[in-house]
Amino acid sequence: MGPDTAAIDEVLQFIGVFVCFSIAFVSYKGLRRTDSPTFMRLATAFVFLGLGFFVEGLVGLNGPFPWLPSVTATLVVVGLVLETAGYFFLAFSHAVDVMLSKRLALGILIFPVLAVSGTELQNLLSFLSFYFVLYGVVETLYSYKNSRKPDTLLIAGGLALLACGILTQWLSIMYISVNLLPLVEILLTEMGLMMLFVPVLGYVLGREKISGPI
Amino acid sequence: MAQYRTQVRIIADVLCTARDMNTEGSGVGITMLLRKGNMSYSRMSKLLSELVGSGLLVELNSEKVSKYRISDKGIQFLQVYGTFEDFAESFGLRL
Repeated sequence: MGPDTAAIDEVLQFIGVFVCFSIAFVSYKGLRRTDSPTFMRLATAFVFLGLGFFVEGLVGLNGPFPWLPSVTATLVVVGLVLETAGYFFLAFSHAVDVMLSKRLALGILIFPVLAVSGTELQNLLSFLSFYFVLYGVVETLYSYKNSRKPDTLLIAGGLALLACGILTQWLSIMYISVNLLPLVEILLTEMGLMMLFVPVLGYVLGREKISGPI
Repeated sequence: MAQYRTQVRIIADVLCTARDMNTEGSGVGITMLLRKGNMSYSRMSKLLSELVGSGLLVELNSEKVSKYRISDKGIQFLQVYGTFEDFAESFGLRL
């Protein structure tokens, strides 16, 4: 990746951090107001995702932190682990919340670990993330079928773009010589996050009144 | 497959019944709340004392029968609940 594309990559990573923490903030507000475990899982998911993007963003910051290259490999793995944990909580909130029984949901969540154990760690994490997000897309689309809310469709679209981003990330790990793949990945991820952010924007800006005392 | 209601959902359902069924302004009886809330008498009694204790419902005693009406705080709770329910539904989730 050239210096210009690396800079774009950095900026996009930190926009992703902002979007994730904004969604986590609204979810946390929801948790405090309603005490619903749904918001606990949603907030946890986006805190992990935000931290994951933050750590991945740090990887490119060689200028201000010259010691970073020595820990780059560790940071990449830590970032991916945090990201995967975030996607897991996102999938998990659907698994316990929507139509499936808890036992079946647990089986679905455990399945990929059994299926791909033994592969390289980064591949494994990308695969798991992809699987979790895809599961989230399916569940969100299923919810849209019942609710017919445009916001739900937007979130499903955002998650689908995130899934495409993760797939590209996976490809970029496997085909490291293709320079454009990391940028395509981050662009897809950012577009996905922006789509997730649109329904949340009203709550973040306070247009939707959510501060009433309970 | 049956969908289980969370505690916050049950509270919202009870408050909604107390708000919507109080057409005459004299409150809603426990029978009506039981019918609409779809839960056992003992569980409903416990929940009602909690809701009265937290100020979401007001207990009205008339002719030896307790009736309940939603308080201003309860109405505010339902408004906030509705907003966050919309938010959760956007993510395909329910409260």
